[in-house]
Amino acid sequence: MLMVAPAFLHALIWIGIPVIAAFVLSFTNYDVLTQPRFTGIQNYVDALTDPVFRRGMVNTLVYAFFTVPVAMGIALLIALMLDTQLRARALFRTAVFIPQVTATIAVALVWLWIYDPRNGLLNAVLGFFGIPAQNWLSSTTWAMPSVIVVGIWQGIGLKMLIYLAALQSLPKDVYEAASVDGASKTRQFFSITLPLLKPATFFVFVTSVISAFQAFDLIYILTDGGPANTTTMMTYEIYKSAFREFRVGYACAQSIILFVFLLLLTLANRRLNGGDSGRH
Amino acid sequence: MEFSRRSFLTAMGLGTAAAVAGCATTSPSGSSAADPTGPVEGDITFLCALFEGATGKDTLEGKLLKQFNEKYPDVNVTVDYTDYGSLNEKITTGLASGLMPDVVTLGVGWIPPFAFKNAIAPLPESLATRYTYEERVLEPSRFDGKLYALPMVLDTRIVAYRKDFFEEAGIKDTPKNWDELREIAKQLTVKEGDKVTRVGFDPFSIDLRQCWETFLFGNSGELFSADGREVLFDSPEGVASLQLFLDMMADGSADFALTTEAGQPTTLQQGTSAIMMTNNSLYVQLEQQSPELIDKIGTFVLGNTDPAMLQGGTMVSQSATSKNPAAARALVEFLGSPDPVLVASEQRGSVPAISDLKDSEYVQGNPMVAFALENLGKARSEGGTPAWMEIREKIKPTLETAIVGQQTAQQAIDQLAGIANDAIARL
Repeated sequence: MLMVAPAFLHALIWIGIPVIAAFVLSFTNYDVLTQPRFTGIQNYVDALTDPVFRRGMVNTLVYAFFTVPVAMGIALLIALMLDTQLRARALFRTAVFIPQVTATIAVALVWLWIYDPRNGLLNAVLGFFGIPAQNWLSSTTWAMPSVIVVGIWQGIGLKMLIYLAALQSLPKDVYEAASVDGASKTRQFFSITLPLLKPATFFVFVTSVISAFQAFDLIYILTDGGPANTTTMMTYEIYKSAFREFRVGYACAQSIILFVFLLLLTLANRRLNGGDSGRH
Repeated sequence: MEFSRRSFLTAMGLGTAAAVAGCATTSPSGSSAADPTGPVEGDITFLCALFEGATGKDTLEGKLLKQFNEKYPDVNVTVDYTDYGSLNEKITTGLASGLMPDVVTLGVGWIPPFAFKNAIAPLPESLATRYTYEERVLEPSRFDGKLYALPMVLDTRIVAYRKDFFEEAGIKDTPKNWDELREIAKQLTVKEGDKVTRVGFDPFSIDLRQCWETFLFGNSGELFSADGREVLFDSPEGVASLQLFLDMMADGSADFALTTEAGQPTTLQQGTSAIMMTNNSLYVQLEQQSPELIDKIGTFVLGNTDPAMLQGGTMVSQSATSKNPAAARALVEFLGSPDPVLVASEQRGSVPAISDLKDSEYVQGNPMVAFALENLGKARSEGGTPAWMEIREKIKPTLETAIVGQQTAQQAIDQLAGIANDAIARL
């Protein structure tokens, strides 16, 4: 136990205490200006009946629903392509991974220009093919898909890297045996590769879902949650409640709701994966 | 060493108690106003949303604070720079961690919430009369009849228009009411096929909240009652102010998608609008980006029943919990004096809050600032309720629901009134 004490203390100070403090404060009207007063479950009632926060919950689910599986699929595809004798594959790996390590503000600023309705790259390309220009970030129809596309693009790098590492650790003899038995490449992929990638997939899925539920900076820069709250997320509403509206107690309740969301999703995924992520 | 379940729970409980107690002890609630009597000395912090960038830092620390220290050599000022967008976060985290700056810049509308919760200290009324202020300018600095802040720079929302487009269309006068605005905007709108290449009026390149408030005040509407406890914007005037934008969009003379980001050449500069709501800092932008347009752009104050110009700005206030209140007070008084006010205004292209500065070289050389100063009598400000910090965040997204057609103007205003009433009820 002594050996884990440093890690335990670190987790206690930086995770345990803040989580418990947030839980306690979620039952108060704490506003950083005055003493917190106990308000029972009022913050939870307010959050769950607030149409904007509920909109944020739906938007977060939609964002996660599209970014996680799509990005995972693309990442796996790219990892498979890069797990070959492809020439200049190191260059491609770097190129795919760069968005992951680039500051989100830089990424978002580039995408702001791409989506600019008048002078942006996307409308210019579409115009070349005779497709009418769209207001990507100020339209209630296009704003969320536009944000999702950036989320997918930015998230592919890390997923690809994890899949690539997992692919490179798969036992070669299994494939050799399958080839001897006459299994096609497609059959090998679905019958060997995918099942053996299950632990990696579980890890990528859980971390991707958590990351998607924590989407904040892209929204902050690209749309400010708009137009008309169509791209607001749970994290963005938490930020606004705490830092712009001084409703810290309420923001804590919203954070606990987000925590419960993530916990349930992780448990559900664990159950779907057979309750054990560590064994093949 | 072993961690039993009991010791774990005890540690967590103590930690939580410490966290909650830490929050509580840092709260200024119930504290009396910081006593400014005593020696002007000690270390103080200044959270500054002005004097941006390296130039601003050089000006503040290399020039202004040296002047201050000549008078008060025993005061050591540490400046924490921020931008206006992050000011809220800085204050929140400062308050939560017990590190509320001794002197802080605040925005218009922020005084009632902070004063109501005893986070800032009242200032002597004599500071309101030592220089000449337009009375409207001091209104946002007051709460409950007391002065809590000194205005430094003002940012007014005015209407700017392209004189050359007016001339081409044979329009001689600027609109005097909304009916005229609609007609002129329709006349100035240019289409190529179905595509609008120039809108007659661009109300959307400034914050929708501030734009709507300008029109609300120009239609003789009010945001809140004098005591800040009653919502008044859900009046026919408030609904009509929002409806005007919808009508102009239906006319094809305004377009929600046709906006420009801060810092980019405006729609007026690009020639994609003929009239736009803007900020007085447009002049600096014109000098830097489109000097050839300076003579082609004019300004006016619009109203329907009552010409009104929205006045925002940055004020300087003293923390109620300062450990060196005399030093903090001295810095507030210094920052609210003509030299710092003029320098800060000049750096941002803002309007100096002190009317005496109207004859300064800076004001005389910036027609939009001079125009705003001349019209300060028509200035109106947002805020006016202790619940403002919460309400202000909800205005833009709620109004947008009407702009994008999710609900009518009446429904959006009713929804906003409900949110505002709930926030006021929580006080």
